[in-house]
Amino acid sequence: MSQYALEVKSLSHSFGNYRVLDNIQLQVYPGQIVAVVGPSGCGKSTLLKAILGTNPPTSGEILTDGIPVRSPNRNVGIVYQNYSLYDFLNAEQNVSFGLKLDETSFLMRLFAIRKYLSLRKSHLSKSRDFLKQVGLESACGKYPHEMSGGMKQRVAVAQAFIMRPKIVLLDEPFGALDEAMREDLQLMLLRFYQENLLAKQEGRRPEYTILMVTHELNEAIYVADRVIGLSRFHTQGDQGAAIVYDKPCPIFSPEDPRDFSKFSEQRDELRKAVFDEEYIKDRNKYVTFWSELSELANRVAEPR
Amino acid sequence: MIRRTIPEWLFWLLAIGGIIALLVSYEMVSLAQTRTNELQTTIPSFGKLFEGLKQIFRAQGLPENPKPAMFWVDIRATMWRLGLGMTIGVFFSVLVGVLMGAYRWIEAPLGPVVMFLSKVPPTAMMPIYFALAGTDQSMFASMVALGIFFSMTQSIYQAVCQDVTDEAINKAYTLGASEFEIIYEVIWKQILPKIIDNIRLQIGPAMVFLLAAEMVVGGAGLGYQIRMQSRVLNMSVVYVYLAILALIGLAAEWGLATLRRKLCPWYVD
Ligand SMILES: Nc1ncnc2c1ncn2[C@@H]1O[C@H](COP(=O)(O)OP(=O)(O)O)[C@@H](O)[C@H]1O
Ligand SMILES: [Mg+2]
Repeated sequence: MSQYALEVKSLSHSFGNYRVLDNIQLQVYPGQIVAVVGPSGCGKSTLLKAILGTNPPTSGEILTDGIPVRSPNRNVGIVYQNYSLYDFLNAEQNVSFGLKLDETSFLMRLFAIRKYLSLRKSHLSKSRDFLKQVGLESACGKYPHEMSGGMKQRVAVAQAFIMRPKIVLLDEPFGALDEAMREDLQLMLLRFYQENLLAKQEGRRPEYTILMVTHELNEAIYVADRVIGLSRFHTQGDQGAAIVYDKPCPIFSPEDPRDFSKFSEQRDELRKAVFDEEYIKDRNKYVTFWSELSELANRVAEPR
Repeated sequence: MIRRTIPEWLFWLLAIGGIIALLVSYEMVSLAQTRTNELQTTIPSFGKLFEGLKQIFRAQGLPENPKPAMFWVDIRATMWRLGLGMTIGVFFSVLVGVLMGAYRWIEAPLGPVVMFLSKVPPTAMMPIYFALAGTDQSMFASMVALGIFFSMTQSIYQAVCQDVTDEAINKAYTLGASEFEIIYEVIWKQILPKIIDNIRLQIGPAMVFLLAAEMVVGGAGLGYQIRMQSRVLNMSVVYVYLAILALIGLAAEWGLATLRRKLCPWYVD
């Protein structure tokens, strides 16, 4: 088992002659919630698609838990902004869909019905437990067209995590939601993070590792424990976007007040480093070298 | 005002009124026709139509050697051809349409061919079927099957392209699906309501080819009988057959709509 949940080595990506991403280096430890921010069109989705395995990078390598990614597989989970659930499955079937695909086969469903049915029962009960955990126990039987956007995204998050993947990718998952639902979902991620901390204290490997694209800087710093900025506004920017910001950020627990003024300084720094077209700097100016700071990456709790 | 609502009772009153008006004016035209010609059979009165109804259900043959009534012979022949042809046609068009939507290397060679052939009116192809398949039972079934195959394949293929997003497929991979599971658990389940709708839509055209073919060749079947009876101006039988065809159409429509609701409770159109 690798010490990294995700390792991106020298990843570059071009569409034709247009180089979108240049030499991305990224290591994510198990249990981290990493937010990715950047100007629109800078290649955030391209990076996620490369990690997912649907659009392999032009060059470079991606490892999840030490295993190279060649195509989408069960090590990497995904939650999309617009496409969240399978229309033809209700909430609990959607969540247990992965368990069914992973642990049973078509032939088994045909020829070992007894075994399949007993597995099915345990899958559905696991799925209901998970839905309960994300506050959706009343929605188990609902079909996607009967659910609100926020409910669907929660089910989608449960659907991804029930597989215990090495990492889950969220591409602007809450972008289409109204403010109240957004807050609910942010709290859900903070609760996952609390479980990670607990797991670390007990010496277990944390289960919820997240790489999350968002265009909301407050959301990034509030939810994540580490923020990454992707941008072309650096000295070698004509070669493509690179990581121009990579720093730890304060940890909130779900009970803490949503006080964004606490990190206004970091937010301003992040905005300047990533979004300011005028401010062309060395790409390493705001980057923490995590390999040398692994104790920071494995922090149990941040002193406030 | 356009689309202004009217009371429910008034709607139903007008609906029933429309049917009664049709029946009454038919009977009046029939009576007027009978007044000019005692023996006319082109516009039979309701009394005559009832005679026709009895005639088609009357056992044929001699009392000691009875044969089934005309209607049962015809409906059996037609339904058997229609059922077999539709089954074969639907099976292959779903198979090919889904595979075209799933694999680029199947889509590439078949896409343009299917697109082109789906535009040839199947009734215009009838002489080709007669020449190729002869004029026996299997000709009718293969004609129905081929008649619906191209346009239905085209629809299924489009349903896969539109309704099954890349995201749905990629997500299924992240949930541990194999290729076969993606085809069966994602694509098939997603387009099942569209398949049922397409079967419903294809019954009409399939009936058109089948009846047209039965009118040209064949020794039994609804189309054959309609043509034979109208040749001798025995319209009381012809109209009863037409009414029965309408009822079959309604029943199929209703049955498939119910089936879709039962199998795909999640589907909202
Ligand atoms: N399939 C593609 N073909 C060509 N160019 C693409 C393709 N996908 C994305 N791009 C380009 O790559 C850049 C990054 O896109 P994307 O990763 O979607 O940005 P974002 O950071 O907004 O998610 C954009 O300039 C976009 O136009
Ligand atoms: Mg994007």
